[in-house]
Amino acid sequence: MAKVSVLNVAVLENPSPFHSPFRFEISFECNEALADDLEWKIIYVGSAESEEFDQILDSVLVGPVPAGRHMFIFQADAPNPSLIPETDAVGVTVVLITCTYHGQEFIRVGYYVNNEYPNPELRENPPLKPDFSQVGPVSTSCLGQAGSLAPGGVESLELGAKVTS
Amino acid sequence: MKLLKPTWVNHNGKPIFSVDIHPDGTKFATGGQGQDSGKVVIWNMSPVLQEDDEKDENIPKMLCQMDNHLACVNCVRWSNSGMYLASGGDDKLIMVWKRATYIGPSTVFGSSGKLANVEQWRCVSILRSHSGDVMDVAWSPHDAWLASCSVDNTVVIWNAVKFPEILATLRGHSGLVKGLTWDPVGKYIASQADDRSLKVWRTLDWQLETSITKPFDECGGTTHVLRLSWSPDGHYLVSAHAMNNSGPTAQIIEREGWKTNMDFVGHRKAVTVVKFNPKIFKKKQKNGSSAKPSCPYCCCAVGSKDRSLSVWLTCLKRPLVVIHELFDKSIMDISWTLNGLGILVCSMDGSVAFLDFSQDELGDPLSEEEKSRIHQSTYGKSLAIMTEAQLSTAVIENPEMLKYQRRQQQQQLDQKSASSRETSSAASVAGVVNGESLEDIRKNLLKKQVETRTADGRRRITPLCIAQLDTGDFSTAFFNSIPLSGSLAGTMLSSHSNPQLLPLDSSTPNSFGASKPSTEPVATTGARPAGDTVSKDSVNATSTPAASSPSVLTTPSKIEPMKAFDSRFTERSKATPGAPALTSVTPTAMERLKEQNLVKELRPRDLLESSSDSDEKVPVTKPSSLSKRKLELEVETVEKKKKGRPRKDSRLMPVSLSVQSPAALTAEKDAVCLSVPAPALKLPMPGPQRAFTLQVSSDPSMYIEVENEVTAVGGVKLSRLKCNREGKEWETVLTSRILTAAGSCDVVCVACEKRMLSVFSACGRRLLPPILLPSPISTLHCTGSYVMALTAAATLSVWDVHRQVVVVKEESLHSILAGSDMTVSQILLTQHGIPVMNLSDGKAYCFNPSLSTCSGRQAARLFSVPHVVQQETTLAYLENQVAAALTLQSSHEYRHWLLLYARYLVNEGFEYRLREICKDLLGPVHYSTGSQWESTVVGLRKRELLKELLPVIGQNLRFQRLFTECQEQLDILRDK
Repeated sequence: MAKVSVLNVAVLENPSPFHSPFRFEISFECNEALADDLEWKIIYVGSAESEEFDQILDSVLVGPVPAGRHMFIFQADAPNPSLIPETDAVGVTVVLITCTYHGQEFIRVGYYVNNEYPNPELRENPPLKPDFSQVGPVSTSCLGQAGSLAPGGVESLELGAKVTS
Repeated sequence: MKLLKPTWVNHNGKPIFSVDIHPDGTKFATGGQGQDSGKVVIWNMSPVLQEDDEKDENIPKMLCQMDNHLACVNCVRWSNSGMYLASGGDDKLIMVWKRATYIGPSTVFGSSGKLANVEQWRCVSILRSHSGDVMDVAWSPHDAWLASCSVDNTVVIWNAVKFPEILATLRGHSGLVKGLTWDPVGKYIASQADDRSLKVWRTLDWQLETSITKPFDECGGTTHVLRLSWSPDGHYLVSAHAMNNSGPTAQIIEREGWKTNMDFVGHRKAVTVVKFNPKIFKKKQKNGSSAKPSCPYCCCAVGSKDRSLSVWLTCLKRPLVVIHELFDKSIMDISWTLNGLGILVCSMDGSVAFLDFSQDELGDPLSEEEKSRIHQSTYGKSLAIMTEAQLSTAVIENPEMLKYQRRQQQQQLDQKSASSRETSSAASVAGVVNGESLEDIRKNLLKKQVETRTADGRRRITPLCIAQLDTGDFSTAFFNSIPLSGSLAGTMLSSHSNPQLLPLDSSTPNSFGASKPSTEPVATTGARPAGDTVSKDSVNATSTPAASSPSVLTTPSKIEPMKAFDSRFTERSKATPGAPALTSVTPTAMERLKEQNLVKELRPRDLLESSSDSDEKVPVTKPSSLSKRKLELEVETVEKKKKGRPRKDSRLMPVSLSVQSPAALTAEKDAVCLSVPAPALKLPMPGPQRAFTLQVSSDPSMYIEVENEVTAVGGVKLSRLKCNREGKEWETVLTSRILTAAGSCDVVCVACEKRMLSVFSACGRRLLPPILLPSPISTLHCTGSYVMALTAAATLSVWDVHRQVVVVKEESLHSILAGSDMTVSQILLTQHGIPVMNLSDGKAYCFNPSLSTCSGRQAARLFSVPHVVQQETTLAYLENQVAAALTLQSSHEYRHWLLLYARYLVNEGFEYRLREICKDLLGPVHYSTGSQWESTVVGLRKRELLKELLPVIGQNLRFQRLFTECQEQLDILRDK
């Protein structure tokens, strides 16, 4: 039986512009006090084709964790656009939240991310190169509204699996 | 008879293998196949019983579902107390569930459904021993044992008081064991298996009493389960699947000589389950019929593979009722309600049926007393609960008594209405932490969340604790143990009382039960006026329910949301918010003078050791400005660099900055100091950490940050102590690595690697010269102006920083730590500077500074003691609490425990002890000089206490004489 289980993940400030940070409010429950910290990661899947383009947006230690219900906000910067393949920049991708204990991953929660141009014109005729590849703050406005997150498919794969201690 | 098939009770079409109704009749559990795991679901009973409740969408149908079993669940059984649920399944495991009262509703994350778990049941034990599917589990009549049987051909008896201890493994079956039943008087346990035998085992020595094979000779292993049952009077044991003349039967086995002369015939296929009604019945006495008392009889339900159910009365030759085609597939399990008038039946087809009988059909159920009388006359002493207390006197001698009772009933009614009003807000209450709603917390979470950087520069977030679990620790365990639970919220160590307790309280049939938890924790803040009587409390609570509920809501503000480390009890420190100002008034000059004196004193005695003090002293003597201090320190350290040699050996990490003595010598001596006490060390020491944060209190928000080895100046590494109090920060540096820190609103103290203890005021002023501990620190604790240090060599010291005196001086705990692997699991300091220790064996001690002795408090783990023992243990526990409260000089605790104790005495009918208490409280009515009687106890007037006790005594009619006596005498005293 799982010692740690995720109760809820709330996506804050959704939807929001591409360059604004991801912000998740994570609630979890722990059956007994943990000796060491939990490590949480946010991974942005740059391309569905290959794990090569996965970006670890941030990893954070969470502790101490006594028995009980806890919550925290996990904030991570937006992905680095230069590491995302141009073809995959606009469209649907996935952001993953994982939790590991002693290096062992035991929870993986996924969210679909839909990056789209808020401007209907751009949406109809997207530029060949995604706008954020252009240097400067222009990209922010161009790629504007992006990252609408909906809980979906990659739903909690091994949710509540065992914490090996 | 009414028949109902509640379609909403289902496992999404998957088979339901087991059903069991909770002893209190409010809920029932089903077990079976889930999506890709086993599934246990707890359902609300009222929608089954009442159509209105079924239609009401506000009444939840499903209370909780648990997917923890890895494979199909074959059996679910409530303990007789209703506190636990045991489930066994194909995953070879038995899980024991207990309701977590501390936690509000939640959803299963990741499951798309919006089905919230209204109740939280969590697995408290997983029992592993079977090497095959677990087919049946059964609690013994007094809940001390749990039996399980499996396809591994064994029956395992578990010690239900001490899971997962195995008392016995019963071997002897040569086939899959598929059913279990206990003898109602606890002498035997019977099991039925596919090996065509039914075996009866003795509970005395867990040996085989008899093996019955004849009726099963023709049986084939065709049924999934063989749930047999023992009649409530103990006379008959009825088997599942047996054969008689190639017809399927349920064999009746007589207790006397294990004779097999009778059976229940009629089912066309194998009998899978037999279940006796828990009640014994007698014929309804009809008007005009002969007065001849009829013989009591039992009632039994039989379910079969032929999908039909039959209900039999042992006084009839034919079944009372047979219901055919009740299900599409085999019947798997049957459960009677405790009143004996309803049954739930479940089937392999995944549905459940409910049958409701009337008393005209079944007869008059015997009361529990009559039942236990039957047991007693047949078997001698019965394990059933003695109901002596119920034999109340019939004659009422004093009208006052009635008045009290009526008033109490009225209060209960009021409370009920008040509680029903509260239930509407109950959901939100559950989501309230620290006086603010979850929503508020969420809004500010990012700001409040403590974020630090670890040594390697990584972010580390201290999560916000939104609910604590009742992990069976000290205070909470006791909550659930004794029937008085409601009012125990004020247990001394559990001032982190909790909102979830509320609904529980309002149902306690006692007037002050409900008002207690709300008032008691508040009372911790200060001396409670002695005259503040309980009856007054309850009146307040009942007459103004609106006023009582907000007070209830504010109670949780005592809960610390962030409990970094084990500062769980630091909320006590909050209780004296006015004090810091006082401490800072102390003239600094004097302080410095004292310090120097102390250092001087130390020096001749042990120059080398004092050297470690002096380097601590460096930053201290100039507490005025931080930057200046640092600067000076740098100068010093540079100087040091020339003189001393920084050591490289990492094990002797602390680099000593000795001014007076040669560094080399110090180093050696230090090493010796550190290593010498090693063999005597008993308690764990905190290891050096690179950095850590400690939340002292949340209101006012105060936390301590420690960063070790921040800067290396000239080969000397400095550690920084930072304290943030409501945004105001102060920091200081120490030359040794900080191992542990503690704080209250008045003081902050840290213990360093070099066995030094430094104490600062809330504003960062050093209050005491560094204290050199005799051995490395194990635990540090602060409450108010008291600082407590527990060293690894198990010596305990407590200082009153404010008065600058030692309260407890290096007392050795070896006496109470007898035994090789015993440690102190928790230690805390009361408001009065009295240390209270909780040992790893569950015992707790407090140290009385004036007597210099430890006094024990009874271990609080009573929760699963058998009932007979429970009474004695509860009594002993309460007596201990009263005595301990006296020792602790804590008046409100004394009052609380005394009232509880009295109430228990009243409920259980212990007249002599009660009389003694009253006599002592009352004292001599007619004043005489020779009397030794003291009119007060721990600052409370005894007679006021007695007045509080009176309504309690008035609850039991048995004590009406005592009640009248006391009241009359109190009246006389008042008139004087």
